Amino acid sequence: MAEQNHEQLTESQLKYLRMERTKEMRIQMISFGLMIFLTFIAFALVALEIDKNFVIPIVIGLAFLQVVLQFYYFMHMKDKGHEFAKLFILVGMYFAIAFVVCFIMIVWIGNPI
Amino acid sequence: MAQVKGKKAGFGAVLWDYLTTVDHKKIAIIYLVAGGFFFALGGIEAMLIRAQLAVPNNDFLSAGLFNEVITMHGTTMIFLAAMPLLFAFMNAVVPLQIGARDVAFPFLNSLGVWLFVFGGIFLNLSWFLGGAPDAGWTSYASLSIASPGHGIDFYAVGLQIAGAGTLISGINFVTTIITMRAPGMTYMRMPLFTWTTLVAAILIVFAFPPLTIGVFLLMFDRMFGSNFFIVEAGGNTIIWEHLFWIFGHPEVYVLILPAFGIFSEIFSTFSRKRLFGYSAMVFATVLIGFFGFMVWAHHMFTVGLGPTANAIFALATMAIAVPTGIKIFNWIATIWGGSIEFTTPMLYALAFIPSFVMGGVTGIMQAAAPADYQYHDSYFIVAHFHYVIVGGVVFALLAGLHFYWPIITGTMLSEKLGKIEMVIFFIGFHCTFLIQHWLGLWGMPRRVFTYLDGQGYNTANMISSIGAALMAIAVIILLINIIKTLVKNEKVGTDPWGDGRTLEWSLPIPTPYYNFANTPLIRGIDALALEKEEGDGTIPAAGPVEAIHMPNNSFIPFMISFGLFVAGFGALYFASGKPWAIDAVANLPEKPWALYVLIAGLAITFISMGVRSWKDDLGYYIPKEELEADLRELEARERGAK
Ligand code: HEM
Ligand SMILES: [Cu+2]
Repeated sequence: MAEQNHEQLTESQLKYLRMERTKEMRIQMISFGLMIFLTFIAFALVALEIDKNFVIPIVIGLAFLQVVLQFYYFMHMKDKGHEFAKLFILVGMYFAIAFVVCFIMIVWIGNPI
Repeated sequence: MAQVKGKKAGFGAVLWDYLTTVDHKKIAIIYLVAGGFFFALGGIEAMLIRAQLAVPNNDFLSAGLFNEVITMHGTTMIFLAAMPLLFAFMNAVVPLQIGARDVAFPFLNSLGVWLFVFGGIFLNLSWFLGGAPDAGWTSYASLSIASPGHGIDFYAVGLQIAGAGTLISGINFVTTIITMRAPGMTYMRMPLFTWTTLVAAILIVFAFPPLTIGVFLLMFDRMFGSNFFIVEAGGNTIIWEHLFWIFGHPEVYVLILPAFGIFSEIFSTFSRKRLFGYSAMVFATVLIGFFGFMVWAHHMFTVGLGPTANAIFALATMAIAVPTGIKIFNWIATIWGGSIEFTTPMLYALAFIPSFVMGGVTGIMQAAAPADYQYHDSYFIVAHFHYVIVGGVVFALLAGLHFYWPIITGTMLSEKLGKIEMVIFFIGFHCTFLIQHWLGLWGMPRRVFTYLDGQGYNTANMISSIGAALMAIAVIILLINIIKTLVKNEKVGTDPWGDGRTLEWSLPIPTPYYNFANTPLIRGIDALALEKEEGDGTIPAAGPVEAIHMPNNSFIPFMISFGLFVAGFGALYFASGKPWAIDAVANLPEKPWALYVLIAGLAITFISMGVRSWKDDLGYYIPKEELEADLRELEARERGAK
């Protein structure tokens, strides 16, 4: 039931809320900057035509870092009250990775194991 | 709410009320009626199958029509009968069990039911529009790409629409159970039906996306010229099998877990005892849900994945039997020493234990990969899954129908007719499927439209067909029972079974549209039984009566679903007669209007969604005075009854 909260906030509560929000905004900006920087590194590595075997794992590693940043900072997984969301995402990722590995092994490579 | 208390509303008003309702109790009735209709349809198809196979060399159904009938039987029973009927009970009971005023997203609840209804109608329209799908309910791509005509397209689009509805409902129930529990209703106090619904809903959330992807790939191959499964163009049909069974095995647990939940409630109610080993039951439910995702390849042992892969999946499959066994022992221990009351639901529950165990045992036999080379694609498999699905799920649906009928309709089904129905159904079920184990071992393959005389199959098939007729008789008795009860319309009061243990039985019948005038306070497992033993038999309130915020009815979910239904026809006929289309539809006459129908349908859907998004709908409040008046009236009624 979406009960609306009509209570007035006190002065100090309001101040605290403002402070929290400023902090949140700062974190969002920093992680946004960081993510652009990570993307830039990935592009640069490819553009510099460095050895493939070296670039691919690094780009995948950076991508993984991006995903974590996305989830925790942009999609608020670091905040309280997200235990179930976290559990679901992790379990879902576990299944998805298992399925993909299986597909690579027994469909794509295709040799019976 | 449109319906005024005590006054008879006209037919039009009632119809409009149901088309627009967002009340979980009314949505439960829509699920029940539509699911019941499809159950009857699937049942008729089953009778046709058994009539064709009753005698050798029969030509009652032609080979092609037989394939259509078995495909539609399986698809209808799983997607349009069993699952919606379970959703009916979940909607009717779960919010009441956890002390909620509705589900978390009432609008989505309505969207889910209408998507299912339109998907089901779409699928079944194939009978009138050039032939039904004929590649089995599993629709393996090598068959389904080759199947001429539009039959498979009806399967793909129909399942896509209905599947979206199921996914939406799954998300809804997960959210409802996690966030809407009344004060004191901790996770480890939730009734088992709520627990199994939660785990089944989680399985839906994880298992339906693979099906959606698989069916999308199939749709693109058949309708828009892609080559995912077309081997000549570099595709791979095995991918379909994996995607289908990654969904398919969790799906069987989506069906059986709520069934377990219903039986758990029935066992403890009619043994007048707390469920034995509650926490072990919860643990087993979660474990089954988790393991359910890692066994899908046991349906593909004969594909040639190799011995290591087969061994891994065989082991994982056998591991599932452990939590299932825990449950069986706990149910037996619940009955043990209880003061048992042999009502119709209890009879079904008692019959379920041996029947389901037999299905579980054949499951373990099939899980042994080398042995499965013998069983696979034989009648043994048919016997296995009917033992678990009919002996488990359908028994639970029938038991649940008798058990929860008072909550849903406010009347009580006749116990006498109910027991007759149960006995006939039980005999018919074993008569039909027990003998099929031997048919399989003697070598009769599944999905054949007839067999030759003199192979030793004749008597067994005849016995099987007679059993099927018995089950049909039992369902007809149930129908008579329902009609008689509804015509008589004798209302019952609170806790009609007299032994209700969980919160839903504490509510007045008929349940007010806001469910709980006071938010209830839960003090332990089996909340009502606890209050009966330690308190005055009423659930304490968590706070004073306050105005309740309620959602408004809406016609938009119906329109969103209708739009997809229309768009489905456009997609379906799009490839007809196009030069790039697959052989199956390339020779059909071209349908130049298909694209416009597709666009028009999607426009209806997206405009409806837009209206929903841009038009604020804040709901309304039930004033405190109305609630207090209702409570006073209820008190007076109860005093009158005493
Ligand atoms: C003890 C647990 C179970 C085990 C070990 C088990 C094992 C298996 C195996 C190995 C197969 C594949 C056989 C083959 O095609 O060669 C199978 C098929 C099947 N099982 Fe089970 N099963 C179990 C429980 C269930 C339950 C609870 C349900 C449904 C409620 C179910 C429904 C099915 C269905 C529908 C099929 C056939 C699918 C098809 O090919 O059309 N099973 N089972
Ligand atoms: Cu399975």
